[in-house]
Amino acid sequence: MAEAQINHQDGRGGRKLLALPQWLTSEHPLPWLFPATAMLIIFGIYPVLYSLWLSFFKRNPATRVEKFDPSWNWSKLIADDRVWDAVVVTLTYTSVALIIQLVLGMLIALLLDSDRRGFGVLRALMTLPLVVPPAVTGMMFLLMYDGSFGVISHVLYDLGILSPNAPLLANGSTALLSVIIVDVWQWTPFMVLIMLAGLRALPKDPFEAAAIDGATDVQAFFRLTLPMMSKIIALAVLIRGIDLFRIYDYVKVMTDSGPGTATETLTAYTGTVYFKSADFPYASTVAIFTLLTVLVVANVFIKIFRVRF
Amino acid sequence: MASVNVEKLVKKYGDLEVLHSIDLDVEDGQFVVLLGPSGCGKSTLLRTIAGLESSTSGDISIGERNVNGMHPKDRNIAMVFQNYALYAHMKVRDNMAFSMHLNKTPAARIEERVNWAASILSLEPYLDRYPKELSGGQRQRVAMGRAIVRNPDVFLFDEPLSNLDAKLRVQMRTEIKELHKRLKTTTVYVTHDQIEAMTMADVVVIMRDGHIEQMGSPMEIYDNPANLFVAEFIGSPGMNLLAGKIVEDSGKMICRVGELDLPLPEQMNISAGQDVLYGIRPEHLIPSETGVKATINVVEPTGPETHLFCHMSGHDVCAVSRERMNWKADEVILVEPTLEYVHLFDAQTKEAIKRKT
Ligand SMILES: Nc1ncnc2c1ncn2[C@@H]1O[C@H](COP(=O)(O)OP(=O)(O)O)[C@@H](O)[C@H]1O
Ligand SMILES: [Mg+2]
Repeated sequence: MAEAQINHQDGRGGRKLLALPQWLTSEHPLPWLFPATAMLIIFGIYPVLYSLWLSFFKRNPATRVEKFDPSWNWSKLIADDRVWDAVVVTLTYTSVALIIQLVLGMLIALLLDSDRRGFGVLRALMTLPLVVPPAVTGMMFLLMYDGSFGVISHVLYDLGILSPNAPLLANGSTALLSVIIVDVWQWTPFMVLIMLAGLRALPKDPFEAAAIDGATDVQAFFRLTLPMMSKIIALAVLIRGIDLFRIYDYVKVMTDSGPGTATETLTAYTGTVYFKSADFPYASTVAIFTLLTVLVVANVFIKIFRVRF
Repeated sequence: MASVNVEKLVKKYGDLEVLHSIDLDVEDGQFVVLLGPSGCGKSTLLRTIAGLESSTSGDISIGERNVNGMHPKDRNIAMVFQNYALYAHMKVRDNMAFSMHLNKTPAARIEERVNWAASILSLEPYLDRYPKELSGGQRQRVAMGRAIVRNPDVFLFDEPLSNLDAKLRVQMRTEIKELHKRLKTTTVYVTHDQIEAMTMADVVVIMRDGHIEQMGSPMEIYDNPANLFVAEFIGSPGMNLLAGKIVEDSGKMICRVGELDLPLPEQMNISAGQDVLYGIRPEHLIPSETGVKATINVVEPTGPETHLFCHMSGHDVCAVSRERMNWKADEVILVEPTLEYVHLFDAQTKEAIKRKT
């Protein structure tokens, strides 16, 4: 705003620094908010509302006719066991991956939080997994998990942890965990980055005061570091949690929801209903339901941990 | 309580030697102030005593214990930091009780100690507040409360008052002094403020560039600065210093500064022809009937006394008078140095020239 004013004054003074049209130097908020608002409405709000609207129609797969019947899809959803299985899978996936990434992220961040030579390079190297496209990561691990030639499977065979009769991704009890490990590999660095930013911003003095007050490093971590980082940790949990909730790529690439529906998440099921059954109204219903679930879980979290932005 | 002994302490940051073989003995119950300009190594020395910095070589002992390499938590010291270093997420009460929570002191005892400290520091109304809800002075008191509840062997203060406004600083100065009178805990106090040092210390330690320049009671240091640095550093307005030469004039030694002849006390260890710096504190350069001619440049009344900034044959000097005369700028007056308070410094070595005894 200050700059805009300066331009105005210069304009009157005769020598214009920047000859901008009036509306580009406006101090009214509307012109500035317009582009972002338009984008949000077109690509965010309209599709959601349209999906909601769609969910009130009953589609006849044979005739491909959609008939207004507000309760049809929603009662179908409540009775649909696959939805509830998907809720369980999604929540399991999200919480397990989140806890591992949180703990691992914090531990690695603590190790990398140093001003000594070389640590800057280590911090940079740490972020490498983030630049791999998730679908590529999925393919990579698909090969490494492969029962006949995958390196991970073979190491596990050799260690006697895994039997060659039950390949990781084809086994209902290991498939979900195997996908979670991929997520952990790719996204822990993100957690490390957030935690490092938090750790590096912590003031030094309270820790010195605590050392003098008699705190061991472990005590200082639990009594100072954690509480002082609580806001950042909450933020990380929220960002990563919402991200995890809409997991799609790894499942799609690696197991395609299988074996059976052992790794079928809400988004994967939505995709299946939409693309395989072409039941657009019901797919919209599951999608809206997914959105509602995220909203509820996230807000409960915000309330419990009193996160403020 | 305990004494603190530092012997041949050297501290290096990489190749940079910050403390050069420091020797310092603090007796049990003493209030020692480390005074020196910014960057001279005061904090480093204090933090090395605290164990927050490791020493490169030398010995530190607290009481009878050699504490080299010991973790700060095992040294039984308490420290007050310049920017308070309070635990922002804990209430005042928990800030003060933190050390006792750590060593699992029974709750009743914690309560008792915290209330005791709070009453000494008038913090009772604030025990359930968070640090951010307190003023600077109150935060400073909480930091002190956190130090005293533990009954440590030694208190370490690192410029604890520099973030406070002038009035509060004077008040807290007195409070810290009273606290020391009451608890009699050995204290090492760092400051760059000479008034703080003069008013609070039993012993002032003057530091420069990682060396100790002089140690002694405040008045000893004020009256007998060991060298030019100490002489200039202590006192405000600072000591007048005039570069001159010793000459013998009809059997008496005098100091010739330009065309001025300044009188010298008897029995100085000097010889004719020696280059010296003639030092006289403003309050010992007094306007009088006799003496040296000076032209008043600026008159600064401070209330109890008046500072007269004068030109004295090309030199700027300051004279102080407690008389209420109506001096004016450009007035020519006579000023008389009080002989017994004249200081001489060797122009080469900058060391004080002693009197013959
Ligand atoms: N961590 C450090 N690394 C390198 N040099 C330091 C460090 N801390 C202090 N110094 C240097 O040591 C000298 C003394 O610092 P310090 O003890 O803080 O001075 P003071 O407290 O007297 O102002 C300064 O020259 C400072 O630049
Ligand atoms: Mg300092």
